Amino acid sequence: MQENSLISRNFMLFGLLSLLAVLLFVLDIFFGSLLIPFKTILQALSGSGNVSPEIKSIIIDFRLPKAITAVMAGMALSISGLQMQTIFRNPLAGPYVLGISAGASLGVAILVLGFSSVFALGLFTISGSWALIVVAWLGSAIVLFLILAVSARIKDILTILILGMLFGSAASALVNILQYFSNESMLKSFVIWTMGSLGSVTSSQLNVLIPSVLFGLALSFLSVKSLDVMLLGEQYAKSMGLRIRNVRFLVFTSTSILAGSITAFCGPIGFIGIAVPHIGRLLFKTARHKILIPSSLLIGSIVMLLSDIVSQMPGSDSTLPINSVTAMVGIPIIIWIILKNRKFTSV
Amino acid sequence: MSNQKIDITVRDLSVGYKKGKHFVAIKEGINVNAHSGELIALVGSNGIGKSTLLRTLTGFQKAINGEILLNDRNLNSFSIKELARIMSFVSTEAIRVQNLRVWELLSMGRYPYTNFVGTLTEEDNSIIKRAIQQVGLIGYENRMIDRISDGERQRAMIARTLVQDTPLIILDEPTAFLDIRNRYEIIHLLHDFVKNENKTVLFSTHDLNISTSEVDKIWLMLDDKVVEGAPEDLILAGNFDQMFHSDKVYFNSESGDFMLRKNSLGSYAINGSEGKFFNWTGRALQRIGLVCDENNPLVVVFVPTEEKDPVWKVEIDSSDKFECTSLYGLTAELYERLNRR
Repeated sequence: MQENSLISRNFMLFGLLSLLAVLLFVLDIFFGSLLIPFKTILQALSGSGNVSPEIKSIIIDFRLPKAITAVMAGMALSISGLQMQTIFRNPLAGPYVLGISAGASLGVAILVLGFSSVFALGLFTISGSWALIVVAWLGSAIVLFLILAVSARIKDILTILILGMLFGSAASALVNILQYFSNESMLKSFVIWTMGSLGSVTSSQLNVLIPSVLFGLALSFLSVKSLDVMLLGEQYAKSMGLRIRNVRFLVFTSTSILAGSITAFCGPIGFIGIAVPHIGRLLFKTARHKILIPSSLLIGSIVMLLSDIVSQMPGSDSTLPINSVTAMVGIPIIIWIILKNRKFTSV
Repeated sequence: MSNQKIDITVRDLSVGYKKGKHFVAIKEGINVNAHSGELIALVGSNGIGKSTLLRTLTGFQKAINGEILLNDRNLNSFSIKELARIMSFVSTEAIRVQNLRVWELLSMGRYPYTNFVGTLTEEDNSIIKRAIQQVGLIGYENRMIDRISDGERQRAMIARTLVQDTPLIILDEPTAFLDIRNRYEIIHLLHDFVKNENKTVLFSTHDLNISTSEVDKIWLMLDDKVVEGAPEDLILAGNFDQMFHSDKVYFNSESGDFMLRKNSLGSYAINGSEGKFFNWTGRALQRIGLVCDENNPLVVVFVPTEEKDPVWKVEIDSSDKFECTSLYGLTAELYERLNRR
């Protein structure tokens, strides 16, 4: 049925993307404010040869976790964006623009600012990390639920987008109000949280982040077949025997966990969730999630690693905020989608 | 392929919508039937509740009252998965998903049968191939569905129902966005499935010409009731007249067409042998508002005897005479002279 040339083209693309991802992963470890010879990096990673403890620490404790976090963030945000685009049948859906990330921030703010300052001190322990990530999930889920309730009534894509932005602004406003009413020590730990970035994720937080993201991704694999059918809309999906409520629950849980987890530890990262699935569609020329999920995983990792390398500004001491770099990557793609979809059809 | 057959029995059905805690019935006391091997058109003017009835029949919304039986079993007792193997559906909404190939769309029809990731077996592939053949979309397998014409996309949507392999197919306004040629071809396609594979196919339309051309039975939704029967039965019983309460439009039960009511300009008779010139001359005279009256005509038209370079001779009130070489000239001249009188 499917032309063989299409299948072999897909294989080649997957091969190339995997290679690129591995290459960028290594490069991401290579680039930093201190230039470390490539050979030393390999030795440090493999544990062989004579590497000074300082260099080893830079690589193992800082650069490696950062690269792993970049891959996690890229995968998680892309898949949450892909799932939202399909469920809402909206090419511009994504965790950042629809305010899901802002919802996660609100969850964290309520925990850190609203509850004990005693707790705030334990923010970087394992149990503190779990508490942080769970409130971020809940915050994401609440905004997601609101958007779903609205999209049941309003079908217009741009209206939902505007409402999503409003929800996001409302969540940010609530965060500001909470900051106003909180005491100094609470505020201090919250400000530390807001400065979160890919590089600030500790290895104890990684122990929480990695299983959470993997769990969220596993849930998305479960709905690979259902998501295809959801592209045709609920009536068709139902007429083919799909239990809409189950799929929605699965996708919602997955999306909240993925977007919430990344926001909890890296802060809000924009535009990756919208842009990456479209790069996947463009490259693979398909709407099927069997292809789009793995391709979004790879492309998400690539884009995030690349953004991280750019944000390091290799050869200089300063770093750019990661959110500015992803915006530069994502916004042109969003503009392209808007121009292409002037009629605003479905994904 | 399944060889199951489905008969539909609708008993005392009320359909409508939920408003707050109350149900508002749009239509009550619907009693209709459909048998396997029948192509059935659900006809009614816009907004009379065709879609609501179809949504109720497909189980998308609950009936307010009464029951729907599929082979004597109540629709409510079927699970959603069971229904997916019995009934497939085409909605009015045009699907314009980007980057979706025709064969990918069709393969989704295998959803009720495939495994967890949707792997297609040899059998699945041959069912898809057969459906593509049946709707005449060979060569379109790898085309994107947002890059093909409306008619081709509608064929693909219908092919998807064939792939779903259900004995009952329900379509909501399948010809709504199509040009005339595609309308007839789509209905003809449905007619073929019904006759060759003993399927039960029900579609809604407000187009009478379409529905009277090939369907076995019409469910006609009127303001106060739903009647059923062969198209000709309904015409003879005068049911189509009740479709509109309009003083501008009426149903001509002779020709089977809706026509505009006009102020009568007078009566006419046609002189000549029966044939296409005779018939179309009559149509032209009716169009400008003349009524046939053989016994006491105001206008008498002599139809051409030669097909090449035809000439019509006209007499008004046996005195005012003129000749024309086309019906356009005839109607224009006649209209002017009659209005002058």
